[in-house]
Formats: sequence, structure tokens, C-alpha cells
Amino acid sequence: MYNSFPKISLQRFGKINPQSIEDYSANGGFVGLKKALSLSPESIIDSIEKSGLKGRGGAGFPVGLKQKYTSGSSAENNIRFVVCNADEGEPGTFKDRMIMETDPFLLIEGMIISAYTIQATKGFVYIRGEYYASIENIKNAIKICYEKGFLGQNICGSGYSFELDIALGAGSYLCGEELTLLESLEGKRGYPRIKPPFPAEKGLWGLPTLVNNVETFSHIPFIVEKGHEEYSKIGTEGSKGTKLFCVSGNVTNTGVYELPMGITLKELIFDIAGGMKEGFEFKGALLGGAAGTFIDSSFLDVPLAYETLKEKGATLGSGAVIIIDDKTNLKEMMISILSFFKHESCGKCVPCRIGTTLLYERIKKPQLNENDFLWMQTQASYMVKNSLCPLGQSPDLPIKTVVKFFKNDL
Amino acid sequence: MSKIIEIQIDSKVVKAAEGSNLLQVARDNGFDIPGLCYHKKLTPTGACRLCVVKIDNTPGLIMSCTVPVKEGMKITAFDEELEQNRRHTLSYLLAEHNEEFDDSYEDEIRPLIKRYNLEKPENRPLKPIWQGIPRVVDNTSPVLTYDSSKCIRCFRCIKACDEIQGKGVLSFADRGISKYIVAGFGEWFNSECDGCGECIQLCPTGAIVEKPFRESLKISEIDSKVITTCPYCGVGCQTEIFVKNDTIVRVDGVDDVSPNDGRLCVKGRFGYQYANSKKRLTHPMIKRNGVFEKVSWDEALDFVSSKFSEIKQKYGSKSLAGYSSAKCSNEENYIFQKFIRIAFGNNNVDYCTRLCHASTVTAMLKSFGDGAGSNSIEDFETTDCLLVTGNNIIDTHPITATYVKRGKAAGQKIIVIDPKWTPLVKYADVWLQPKLATDVALLNGLINIIIENGWIDKNFIENRVEGGMQAFESLKELASKYTPEKTEEITGVSKEKLYEAAKIYATAKTAMIATGMGMSQQTVGTNNVFSLINMCLITGQIGKELCGLNPPRGQNNVQGATDVGASPVNYPGYIPVTNEDNRKKVAEIWKVPFESLDPKPGLTTIEIMNAAYDGEIKAMYIMGENPVVTDPDRHHTVEAIKKLDFLVVQDIFETETTEFADVILPAASLYEKDGTVVNSDRRVLRLRKAISAPGEARQDWQICVDIAERMGFKIGSYNSPEDIFAELAKAAPIFGGITFARIEKHGIQWPCYDENHPGTSTLFLEKFNTESGKAKIFPVDYKEQSETPNTNYPLVMNSGRLLYQYHSATMSRKSKVLNAYANEAYIIINPEDAVKLGLKDGDKVKVTSPRGSLETTAKVSDEVLKGETFMPWHFNEAPVNALTRNEIDPMSKIGPFKYSVVRVERV
Amino acid sequence: MQKELNKEQIISILQKYSPTKDNILKCLHELQDAHPQNYISKVILEETAKHFKLTKGQIFGIVSYYSMFSLKPRGRYLVRLCKSPVCNMLGAKSVTEYFDSKFNLKPGETTTDGMFTLELAECLGRCGKGPSMMINREVVTELDSKKIDEIINTKK
Repeated sequence: MYNSFPKISLQRFGKINPQSIEDYSANGGFVGLKKALSLSPESIIDSIEKSGLKGRGGAGFPVGLKQKYTSGSSAENNIRFVVCNADEGEPGTFKDRMIMETDPFLLIEGMIISAYTIQATKGFVYIRGEYYASIENIKNAIKICYEKGFLGQNICGSGYSFELDIALGAGSYLCGEELTLLESLEGKRGYPRIKPPFPAEKGLWGLPTLVNNVETFSHIPFIVEKGHEEYSKIGTEGSKGTKLFCVSGNVTNTGVYELPMGITLKELIFDIAGGMKEGFEFKGALLGGAAGTFIDSSFLDVPLAYETLKEKGATLGSGAVIIIDDKTNLKEMMISILSFFKHESCGKCVPCRIGTTLLYERIKKPQLNENDFLWMQTQASYMVKNSLCPLGQSPDLPIKTVVKFFKNDL
Repeated sequence: MSKIIEIQIDSKVVKAAEGSNLLQVARDNGFDIPGLCYHKKLTPTGACRLCVVKIDNTPGLIMSCTVPVKEGMKITAFDEELEQNRRHTLSYLLAEHNEEFDDSYEDEIRPLIKRYNLEKPENRPLKPIWQGIPRVVDNTSPVLTYDSSKCIRCFRCIKACDEIQGKGVLSFADRGISKYIVAGFGEWFNSECDGCGECIQLCPTGAIVEKPFRESLKISEIDSKVITTCPYCGVGCQTEIFVKNDTIVRVDGVDDVSPNDGRLCVKGRFGYQYANSKKRLTHPMIKRNGVFEKVSWDEALDFVSSKFSEIKQKYGSKSLAGYSSAKCSNEENYIFQKFIRIAFGNNNVDYCTRLCHASTVTAMLKSFGDGAGSNSIEDFETTDCLLVTGNNIIDTHPITATYVKRGKAAGQKIIVIDPKWTPLVKYADVWLQPKLATDVALLNGLINIIIENGWIDKNFIENRVEGGMQAFESLKELASKYTPEKTEEITGVSKEKLYEAAKIYATAKTAMIATGMGMSQQTVGTNNVFSLINMCLITGQIGKELCGLNPPRGQNNVQGATDVGASPVNYPGYIPVTNEDNRKKVAEIWKVPFESLDPKPGLTTIEIMNAAYDGEIKAMYIMGENPVVTDPDRHHTVEAIKKLDFLVVQDIFETETTEFADVILPAASLYEKDGTVVNSDRRVLRLRKAISAPGEARQDWQICVDIAERMGFKIGSYNSPEDIFAELAKAAPIFGGITFARIEKHGIQWPCYDENHPGTSTLFLEKFNTESGKAKIFPVDYKEQSETPNTNYPLVMNSGRLLYQYHSATMSRKSKVLNAYANEAYIIINPEDAVKLGLKDGDKVKVTSPRGSLETTAKVSDEVLKGETFMPWHFNEAPVNALTRNEIDPMSKIGPFKYSVVRVERV
Repeated sequence: MQKELNKEQIISILQKYSPTKDNILKCLHELQDAHPQNYISKVILEETAKHFKLTKGQIFGIVSYYSMFSLKPRGRYLVRLCKSPVCNMLGAKSVTEYFDSKFNLKPGETTTDGMFTLELAECLGRCGKGPSMMINREVVTELDSKKIDEIINTKK
């Protein structure tokens, strides 16, 4: 059944040697790029805009629009950058790694096309430091692309030139936030920048920069090759295309699944992932990772799409689907989540630095009562309103939803 | 200028410059929005989250410190939700904050606690958690203590160090709740921190606190705060002196005032201890049978005046001379030169300028008609290109250097020319490292490249240079000999680097030069500066804004002393003594017969010493100078002084020179007097009395007036320095429009001819100050030194200064803090030479020149070229001037402190 | 066995990177990996600061911010145990306890023979097959005591 769904990011999954550009080319690779280089940058941006593709990193911002802004920003000496956010660190998320490990050329192709649309001269793939296999794969793919004329001067004889390099993270979840990622890429401590300006206006080294997630870039060749009409046939009204879902927990076949937006949780878990492991009973899920939302079984039939989840107060986030079962210790899970935020807070702004500590201290309290729940929700709401970057806003959703659905387990 | 727009804050219409900071605009208009991480001198941080506001049509709460204002913005600064929110944020901060308070600093968080009614623990929504956070205390710095439990992680210290001072020494370490401030790898003392204390001044909560007087100081019990000019270098920083029990207990920089806008260096902030030193001179003393005895002022003044009169009568007026002082005020120097010209009846008055920028001034006077720096200190930040030659600007003029570093951060090009590495090299685009004393060749080489590549400014040469292209041709012909190859051969600087430097300087839109002692203190000092001027003129990098030539001055009033006439050739305001009309005019103001004024130029510093050596000068009156240490060839200086019949030294401490005096007169220090000084950018700045002079020490000008009177000369009756300044302003047209009232807050840069004149920030915009109004080119050839290394003396010694000590160290070495950073002499030797001599770092060595020898410690470093060495000259136990020679630059009479042949041996 | 990465070795690694700031983290990774004790030594800090024209405080600030860098010497093998909410749910705690009981190794500690250092890591991105860990660059998933014994034995 799974194979009957259209594939974009994982179209070559397991079918090619990820180190081989020949394999990649023989399986439809670089068709999009070659086509793109014959088109005007504006027309490609237009097509991406029409495709309805939204950022797959979690925030879901329209990709074409971002590209348009970046391309339209005034840049000193016309220098613009493309940066791939491959700092996958959201707990429960491992989809970008899957792309980089199985089809690295796809990411590079997506980046080159995107770079071309904004006429960027240089790009970086910022990969989290622990993803050794991904790092090696991307390094190797970049090297081969230079050798074969897909990177460097005069790409494929088009006259367009683009340099690509990798950059490494070193253990900071916050660096997955785009502005913090740029700080880190500039060799600094990972502090979020004041927004605005957004990267489209002032990004890397203060110049216009297009930042997208790995999965997002992996959709670009498809859209260019097959056209936005073809792309927007996939998915729901408000959420176009496919999505990578990272299924974890006590499920029979855990892993990454590429499925059209709008599939239900029930289909994902019970039809595709083989249902619960023996001895475990489905109880709910944590969608979107540590910064995501808890849901209970009432969500089983809700289509997994931006708009449908939003309507019910939940989020898709990065695509993490952490399944909770009857034996899951939710208190432990919450301690783990809040300890994570405390550990990853950069400490720049007061609400997040101190708030994450206060919440962590409170969740550890043996017997939590209504006052505690109220208190925690108050602090989390305050943090949402006052924090500098998304990290300080992150504890809010898991706290509120866990209290809503699983209060008695705390 | 940006557009003025209107915004609304809590329904009040407010005008502001478009794009200016919303929080600042609100505060300037009386909206007291709290905020701890914001500081108007820093880029916004958005860390403390206290300055939240609401903006119409923008969702959520907005940090006002991060918002540039736009036309029509409607802001809510105060409502219940915002205030609740601020209170909550403050209670967060308090939870992680150690509130112990010792009143030795201004605490910005305490007033907020009160304002938000969070004083009582029961009013606080959160229990403290700070005890559970790892506490980091760094006590290693001589000037400050850091305590993380009092730190609110606001970034102000980091940004103060980075954005204001350009040093970037501080950072946070770790992250999240346990992050803390770090200098170096966790030890302040072993970091690059140079103790300027900018971080202390900007810390809002006492996490970084000043060490001196920490135990006893209560800010709320300070007796007075007095604003005055820093007594150290020629930048002229404005300082606020905190006084308790007539003792200086703290010094801060004064914000919003030029030239320093609140910044200070380590000397300015921590070098004040000398004023309250127990070693201060407190009573007049007369030497009897080789021993100094305390006497009354009456006795001392009678004795001094009668001895001066006696010698004058016996040997004629030419037998007397005086050294004035760059450490005294304009008023005092004015009175001193008046004293010499009237009471001694000659022009034998000079001072240490002869030892520092005499050659620069000589060349600039000849070429431009003015000897002072052409730009403002602030211009060091905004010019496109800065060429720094022979000037260790970061160590010697630290606050001017802050402008340079900020300029660099904004993209300025920096060229350094120095035979020795200086910290500025770290910021430089090109560093030319010529062999010592080859500057003329180097500059002619650069001129050659500039001409060959057509980078000259023909228009400028034709219109602003005397002789126009004809004058240029003569320079071109001379420079043609200095091909890149030839220049490389003489100087050791590669052709490529020469080309790069020439191109950057000549083709920059605007370019300024800072020239220091490395250029001036040579036997070819004047020629060095002529060469610089030539390069400046053919490229047209002068005579317009952000262009020009600047000699940063060493002493805080070295500029002023010359301006007010402490000169053997000029009356106040650069009016030559040789001109009869000038004498008549001055005589009228001074109310003396003009015939009594000597029409002949007097002797210069070194000439005075030589004349003393030759027995022609019999008596000297030295005010605030220490020639035994500062003059070249110490042995010769001591011999000369010993030969004097009578020596009066007026100073604040016993010095190496007072030892040889017949009478010592105790004077007030700069912290103890009113008056004015002139800094390096010609800014007339106020001195204000902060503390009383110790014992019976008196104001220098009063002593002069009294001696004159007892010698039978009335040199004026003044009630205050302000009276003296008023007379000075009459005598010197460049000060004509300046009054104490006008410079109450901000100084004025001369020339300022009348009360409506705003002062002059850049010289030579319209014309040069020569007779023709045009500048002059003086082509000069490279000459080899008369003294060159030989088998006996195989090395050359260069000398210079350190950040932490000051000149002969009379003041700076009284400071424990400054001594903690640097209190030992050394000689830097290139590693290759060290190997040859079998020396290693830290070895005790004997350094010998044809004049004398000294012992010091070897420091092996590639900061100097092979064959060259370097010594700081502050330390009397290793007196560099025992080695220097008294051969002088024929034009300016300056001594060659930068070039002496020596040999170095292990002791 | 070499205990230190000496100055010459450090400089030769630094020379491979142009001193633009985007190279700082990459360079620190390579230096740390090259160090026999798997950490950023003082000499590395000093030389890296020089190479990239940073102050000592700035380089210390950078290194101490990122959790993959260590300022303390570590064992030849670095065991990073995932403590994410998912691995936690799948039994990461008992794995931690196993390390303690079997090898007397607590998080943050190094075995006395200098062979192994145990650290707890945030999500390693192997949530589908938790609990998981990394031993240097090698990933081990679906951990149980048998798997742990096996992998530790091969390294000893």
C-alpha cells in the first residue's frame, strides 16, 4: 500500500548507490536542474509559489514567497546566499538524515536550482555534527558535483556559477532556528538574532540569504521537472505535496514514511506502519517533536495537514510522530522534554533562560496538582509572549496539551 | 541627517529622527520604560525583555529597544498588561539574582525592584533559584572582580569591550542558565584585558565591580563628583572624579562629551593614586650641606628670587633658562613663559615638546604654516583610510585607538608603518616593517609608486601647492631614484607591500595620517615628516574633511604649552618673537616696555642643557619636568645640571632631577587645579579642582608670580586661572573667542577667533596658514645615520612606551594597579640574534652603548627585526637615556631616542 | 601512545582552513577529533584563536557553547547515549544504569584506563530504533545489555 503513494524526497530510496552520481543521473537525477537552467529565475519562483510548497522545517512558511523576498532584497555587490538547514535536532525527527544518507545529490540539485532562482553565488549545507554519515555523503556528493560541472563555474554550460560547501553544527538544538543557524555558520555562539530583519533581507554576513530545510530543497527538482500543477495534485487544499513522517515508539515498523499531506494518523500507524507492537496499546502521540503537541486517540482520523491540525490546536512541526502507548511514562517524558529545553536554551533572553529552568524544576515535583498545572501553563504563556526566539515558546504546546489530554498521568 | 518624523507614544505626539531607537526616543521624551540590557552606546540586544511595548497593527509584545521608529507608529508604552509583564520579567531576573549590595557601584536593578513593589519576598511570585546555579567568581584582574551570581547576562560588558573599545576580550561561556562572563580562558589576568574598565562602567548590576576602594567606598556617601580632563596623554579624555574625604576614590568617563564620549583607558581610570600619594612634596625645601631642609614659602621664595637676581646681575640675563611643562595648564605655561621673558629677560623657555614632536611641528609649520593636527579625534573612525606611522597608537593613545578600531569594524583600511610590531598590526590591512631610520627612503619609494601609477591629485597640486606642478616635478625627479627595487634594498620592505600600501593610501576617498615618535625622534625627524607631507600633498589627502596629518600628542597639555607660548621662538598663539610689531603688541598687553623683550630666539631644551654643560647657563628654573630621565644622553644631562650654580625644581614629587636641585618647590597636581589644557585635536578643555593640594603645595602660576614679584617684576595680578585665560585670549588670536563659559561642557577647537566662531574641527579646508595660503613641498633625500652598527655595537636599539606606564613614570608608578600590569624593564631581542648571543627569554643582560650601559631582562620576540632591539623607557632602574646620544636633528633640535647602537651581553 | 596534539600538528591542521569565520566550527571538529584525548586543549584554543583572529575569551565562548566540544580530556572512545524523550520512553534509562553497574561508568565520567567516556546526548536522530547511542562515529541502535557488551568488548 505504502508504495502506491507518490514519492518525491524518497523516490530513489534504496534504489541507488548514494555515492554514485551515475546512479543518480540514471534514475531521473538532474533533469529538473537542466530544465531550470534554461528557464528564467522569475518563472521558477513563480512555479514554486504556485505549487503551494511550504517549508518542511516546522514553521511552514510558503517557499516561493521566501524565494521572492530573498531575490528582491538589495544586496551589496549582488551577493546572496543559499543555506540548507540540515541541523536536524528536533527529538523524534530523522527524516533529513534519511535524505542525506540515501539521496544526497537530490538535496544538492534542489539547492542549485534554488540558488539559481535568487542568483546566489555561494551556498552552505549546515549539517548537525553528529550526522557523520550524512556529512560524508554530502561532502562526497559536492566533490563529485564539482568534478562533473554541476557546481563551480559555468554550471552545465549555462553561464551560471555557484559554490557550495558544508558547515558543521556542534551540538546545539537552537542552531536549527534559521537566524541562530546563521550566527553559528559565522563561527559564533548560537544566539538568535533580533527579528526583523529576516534572512531574506539580512542573513549570512548581513546579506540576503535563502534558508530552507533539507526536505524542502528535495521537493524543488520535482516541481521544476514535473510542473507545479503536477505537484499540487498531491496533498490537501492547504497543504500541498508529500511529507516525511518519522514514526517512533512501540510501533511494529518504525521509520520514515513519505506520504501525501492529509493522510490520517490511523492510516499511518495501522495501515502503513503495521500497527502497535504486541503488548502495547495505542494511547496517543506527540506530534512535531519536543516542541510539538500531544494528542489522544480522538485525533486518529484527523488528516495530518497544516490546516486540519491547526484547527484542532495541534501541529505537524517537523513531521515527528512519536507514538505513546499504555505503558509510556508520560511524566518521565515531560521531564525529558523540559530538561531538553533547559539544556538547549542559549540563555540570551530572560524568559527562556530562567523559564526553562523553572519549568524543569516544577515538573520534577512528585505530586503535581491543579495549581502546578496552572502555574506551569501561566509561565509557558508568559514565555511565548516574551521570548526572543522560538525556543522559549516551545514548552507551551507540550505542557498545555499534555495537561489537556493526560493530566492524570503526571 | 535623517528625516524627522512623528510617532505617538501613549497618545502623545513625539518627534524623532526616522530609524532611531524606539526605546531611546521614548526615554528622551519622558517615558521611563524600564530596560537593563539596552545602552544608548551599544547595538540593541533584546535580552532582558523589560522594555516591552505594544505597537498598533503589530501582533504581540515588542521589545522597544529593537525597533527603529517609522512615521506614524502608534505605541502603547504603559498599560496594565505591559506593567504586569514587566513585573513578571523582573521577578524572573530576581529569582536568578544575588541581591547582596555593598553600595560601591550604581545598581540599576534596585530602583526597579522598588518601582515594581518587589522588595518584600512575600510580594515576589517566584522563589530564588540563584543559589542552585554554579557561581563563578573571577578575582584575578588587578582592576575588577566578576561575580556571576550578580550578573543578569545583559551583554553590556561584552559589547562595551567589543563595540565601544574595539577589544572583544569578553564573551559568555557555557549556555543557558549557567552561562557566565569569561575573559581569556577563565582568568581575567591572563586574558587580553588591558584594564580600561569600560565593562565596569557599563555593568548595570555590580557583577563587574571596580577593585580599588571596594571595601570602603559607598557611592551614596561620596562628597563630590568633579569633571576634569585626564592628566595623562594628549587625547584629553573628560573624566568624572569621585571624591571622598579629599581623596580620589574613583574615576569614570563622561558620556556625550568629546573626545572620549565616556571611554577611558587603564591610566585614565586607575592611574589617579599618585595624587593622594604619601610621597607628594608638601613643603618647600632648600638644600643645605647636601641635605634638603623644609623651609617656609617666604624663605624659599626669597631665596629663589634673590639667587636668580644675583646670577642675572653677575652673568647677564643670558645665563638663565627655564623648562616649562606639558603637565601644567595653559594658564601656568602662559605665566611661566611670561615670567621667563620678563623676569629672566630672555626667551630661554622650552619644554619636552622638543623631545617629542618638535620635528613634526617644524616640518608642518614650514609646509602648512600650522604645527597642530589637522583633524578631530572622531575622524579616526570615519576616514576611509588611516596610515599610522611610528605611532603605537593602541598603547600610547588608547582612546584615539578606540575610534580606529571602530572604523576598522566598519570597513576602514589601515596601513601601519613601524619597524616594531604594535597591537595595531592585528587590525592592519598592510604592515610595512622598514629597518630603523629608513623612513625617508620608504616614503620616497611610496611617492615614486604613486607617481608612476598616476595616483596623484593634479588639481590639488595646481591649486593648493606653492609652485604647482613645477614643485611637483622637483619631487618627482628626486623620488625617481627611489624605485621599488631600490626602496626594498634600503628598507627591507617588499615591493609588493609597498605597492599595496601606496595604492590604498593614494586611491582612498579620504585618508588620514597619524605620525608618532617613531618618525619624529630621529636626527632626520624633520625630513621624515617632510616626506610624509610630500606624499600627503601630491595625493591631495589633506585640505578636506577626513583628510590630513595628525601627530597624536603625548602629554595632556603638550599642545597647549606651545600654543600659549612656552617656546623659545614664539609668543602665545605662534607669534614669532623676532618681529618688532609682535613684541610691541605683546608688550602692550603685558604692560612692559617693548624694548625689555628680547628680540632674539631663545635656546631649545637640548641647547639649554648643552649651554649648561658649557657653563653658559648658570641657573635654571624647571617646572614639572624630569630631564635626567627624559633628555637624551643621561650622563651628559647629569653633568650639565651639576655644573649649574643654581637649580630650582618645582614639581609634585621628588624625581631623578630634584636630587640635583638647590630648591624644591611643591606644586599642585592636575587634579588640584582649575584652568584649561589643549588636547591633540586642538580642543581647549577645562581642568577643575577635585581635591586640595597636599600640605603647603601651591598652584604653579602663583609661585611664578610670587618669584617674579620678589625679583622686582610685576607679571600680573590675577584672581584665578580664568583671569589668566582672558589675558591669553587677548594675546593669542587663535584663542580669541574662547572663554571658560563657552567651554563649560564641550571644548572648542582652535582657531576660534571671536565669540561667534564655532571653533575649527578640520584645518586647511580653505587655505593653508602660510603666507601664500598654499602648502609647500620640500623634497628630501634619505641619509644614512652617522652612527651605524659595528663590531663593538652590533645592534640598534629602538625605544618607546607601554600602555601601563607613562613617560618617566613619576605619576604612573605610584599606582599599584598600573604596576600590577607592567612594572619591569626589558629589552626585546629578535630570536635569531638571541640564538647568536646565546640568550633566552628572561635572561639578565647588560646593554651597552658608546654613552653608557644598563642592566635589564631579555625578552626574545620577533616583534623586532633581526639586528634591532627595543626598550621601554619608563623605568629608572634601566634608564634608556643612558644609552641614547645627544646628536640632534639640525632643524628641530630633537634628540634621536629611536636609534642608538648597542651591544647586549648576558650578565 | 601520544597523549597530546602538539603545536605543530595543530598548526598543520589549521593551515588547511582559510581564516574565514565559517570555518571555525569545522576546524574545531577536526582538531578535537585529531586529539588523542578527544578534546579541545588549551594549545588548540590558543592556536585557533590566533588563526581566526579571535581573542581567547571569544574562542573559549564558542567552544564552551557547543555541547559536542569538550574542554576536558576524554577517553579514546566517546559513548554518547541518547536521552531524548523517545529513547527515554524506549528504555534509555536502563541503558545508563547498565553502564554504571557493569562498567562503573556514570555520565560525564571516563574509565580509569582512559578508554571510555560516557556522555548523555540530546536526540541522535535514531528515534525509530531507540534506545540508541554512538561510540565515536559508529551508531548502535535498539540497545540491550548484550549489544552493549559486544560493542564494548570489540573496543577493549
